Amino acid sequence: MKAPASTFSKAPVKFRMPTADNLVPIRLDIEIDGQRFKDAFTWNPSDPDSEVAVFAKRTVKDLKLPPAFITQIASSIQSQLAEFRSFEGQDMYTGEKIVPIKLDLRVNHTLIKDQFLWDLNNFESDPEEFARTFCRDLGIEDPEVGPAVAFAIREQLFEVATQSVASARESRLSKKGRRGFEYVPASKAGGAVLDLVKLFGHKSSVVRKRKEWEVYEPIVDHLSNEEVDALEAREERNFRMILLCK
Amino acid sequence: METTTHDPTSKPDEPELDLYTIPSHSSWFLWDEIHETEKLALREFFDGSSFSRTPKIYKEYRDFIINKYREEPSRRLSFTDVRKSLVGDVSLLHKVFRFLDERGLINFSAPSGNNTSLVVVEDGEDRSRIKIEGVVPNAVRVGASPNSPKPISVPPNVVDNAVLNGFKFLPLASYSDVFGDLVKPKGLICGNCGGICDSGHYKYTKGEFIICINCFKNQNYGENRSMDEFKLNECAENKGSDGAIWTEAETLLLLESVLKHGDDWELVAQNVQTKSKVDCILKLIELPFGELVLGSAHKYGNYGGLNGSMNGTKQVQLSSSEHHEAIRLEGQCHEQINEMEENGDTVDQGHPSKRQRIASLSDAGSSLMKQVARISTMVGSQTTAAAAEAAVTALCDENSFPREIFDVEEDHISNGFSPPTASYEAERVFKNEESKTKEGLTQSETANTPHKRDDIPLTLQIRASIATALGAAAARAKLLAEQEDREVENLVAIIIETQMKKLHQKIKHFEDLELIMEKEYAEMEELKDCLLAERIGVLQKAINAGISRWRDHSVKS
Repeated sequence: MKAPASTFSKAPVKFRMPTADNLVPIRLDIEIDGQRFKDAFTWNPSDPDSEVAVFAKRTVKDLKLPPAFITQIASSIQSQLAEFRSFEGQDMYTGEKIVPIKLDLRVNHTLIKDQFLWDLNNFESDPEEFARTFCRDLGIEDPEVGPAVAFAIREQLFEVATQSVASARESRLSKKGRRGFEYVPASKAGGAVLDLVKLFGHKSSVVRKRKEWEVYEPIVDHLSNEEVDALEAREERNFRMILLCK
Repeated sequence: METTTHDPTSKPDEPELDLYTIPSHSSWFLWDEIHETEKLALREFFDGSSFSRTPKIYKEYRDFIINKYREEPSRRLSFTDVRKSLVGDVSLLHKVFRFLDERGLINFSAPSGNNTSLVVVEDGEDRSRIKIEGVVPNAVRVGASPNSPKPISVPPNVVDNAVLNGFKFLPLASYSDVFGDLVKPKGLICGNCGGICDSGHYKYTKGEFIICINCFKNQNYGENRSMDEFKLNECAENKGSDGAIWTEAETLLLLESVLKHGDDWELVAQNVQTKSKVDCILKLIELPFGELVLGSAHKYGNYGGLNGSMNGTKQVQLSSSEHHEAIRLEGQCHEQINEMEENGDTVDQGHPSKRQRIASLSDAGSSLMKQVARISTMVGSQTTAAAAEAAVTALCDENSFPREIFDVEEDHISNGFSPPTASYEAERVFKNEESKTKEGLTQSETANTPHKRDDIPLTLQIRASIATALGAAAARAKLLAEQEDREVENLVAIIIETQMKKLHQKIKHFEDLELIMEKEYAEMEELKDCLLAERIGVLQKAINAGISRWRDHSVKS
């Protein structure tokens, strides 16, 4: 995948998930007749499409949902897959790309806030392994937290990847493409790419200053039932408002 | 200055001197360099493929993580602790962290926590162990076997009970480690009173809990349990190889039959009716001199005529050794001894011309105490008081003979002492050279032959032999304890020495610092003087030039 050891200048990377396994994050949020189905999982894009229908049927059967959900689920998955596939074959970026990943999620009774860096050129990275280590080190026992963390990471990586495809296209068009330390101006991407020279250069240390440790430290909160209810109510309200606005 | 100065004594490449005991397989590590192992395992940093991955960066990561761990070596450092302080791709950082962990450069003296997310579930009933990967999600139930609907629930997470405070020392070998296997309590232990459930026990149907029959009768069921939740479980005598209980009588029968039949386990098992062939073999191996008996059985071949006399002595021995329930080990010991004695005797009947070997012992002549003192010079220095007391009290307690008999029949007793002792001696030498001791044995036994005809009551002789055996065993135990003590002292001395060295180094370090400080101070002083001189110079020039000093203005206004 990566160009061999030519110092600091690379051939552009083709679009794919920058992780060890090229899995697409799929998020489902379907509401029919007052019944709401939310789910998030990863899908292997090299699976045959017939699997989508099978999966949708199985899910509806297991969770005893009304059959109307089947088509909705299948179509949602298909569209997200199609979007993923539309990016395939295009160039993502060249050169270094280390992005910050932020976690801000709630899973059942656990609230997680975290921030760290991820190298998009590291094709051996594994969000699931990160999530496993995360849960183990912080002693999280809820088994749903790990997959949720991994999914959140994947989602963000996907977003960064798609954005960088877009910006790569733009910069190519406008002939601004620079080899070497190509960094996207902060205004473009959602998660700003960092100034690598400042971070990894000879004059600086890769050990953070102590006052910054808190920023990059994971914060895990265990909520009580009331707090969970309050948060859920607020989320519902937001969701409704967004729907109305649409 | 590098960050290593906070512990100048840590030289990871010299594990003996290091205060942190680094595992020897990581002794290749050097602070100032990057070793080939590191370069191989973490190639990304060294192939120049990225601006964010250079050897310098790697070294910073590595040094930071190791120093972080050394701030508190007894605590296990987790990846999440360090990643917040390091800039870089978390997957790569994790790789570095894992590398250091696996190679023993960090977390080597920390307790190994629940590293794997494998949960081991032990099903009490079938003794099957099932490993469940990760934590079982709520909606899934793990069944005991593919078709059984009975679910196995994950036991509550075993919290790591490791010692968190300070350095944990290795446990010293103690009596129970060395002799524990021999004195293993056979059978089940009551959950209530802690005693052994011999004949049967009551098993709690709702969980793992056993109480003995006595507790059940007394209605001591333990908390929250009622009578009908217990199920009687008769302990069968022939329980098979785990937990088979051998009584004295059975052991004696076994030894007897082994001596008679040697390797023929069928016949042996027949003689010892209550135990199977396998049990017999196991038991014989377990006995401390079991194999020797086997050896001697071969040597003293087929003494069919032995049976009569041996049975006679066995009965007597039985009655005597039954009193020594708690000291079964010694009981078995002296059974062996006496058997060899008997063997020796019969053999010797054909060799009356051999001289006594241990003349010195029988010369002791005087009282029991002196006799034991003699023995103690042969077996060890601390045993005199212990062995003598133990032997005398034990013997006096359980038989009706008054103490005087020992003093009166000193001669006979003293002579009675010698063969067992000598044969015990022979036992130990036996372990080294068989042929030599065979002779020694026969020789020592001759000391017995003349006295065999005397009218020493056989029981007394046996008592005496028991006493010696007791004493010798106690002696060995004492020796072991002595040795342990010495080892402990040694280790403590080493620790103290190391601490002293560390302190010395610290002192030296501080002295160096002081020197530096003083030099700096001198420099500062010089600088001050310089500045002062400059200031004076400037003022001089100002005055010479006639410029009024600014202070004059303020005086005016």
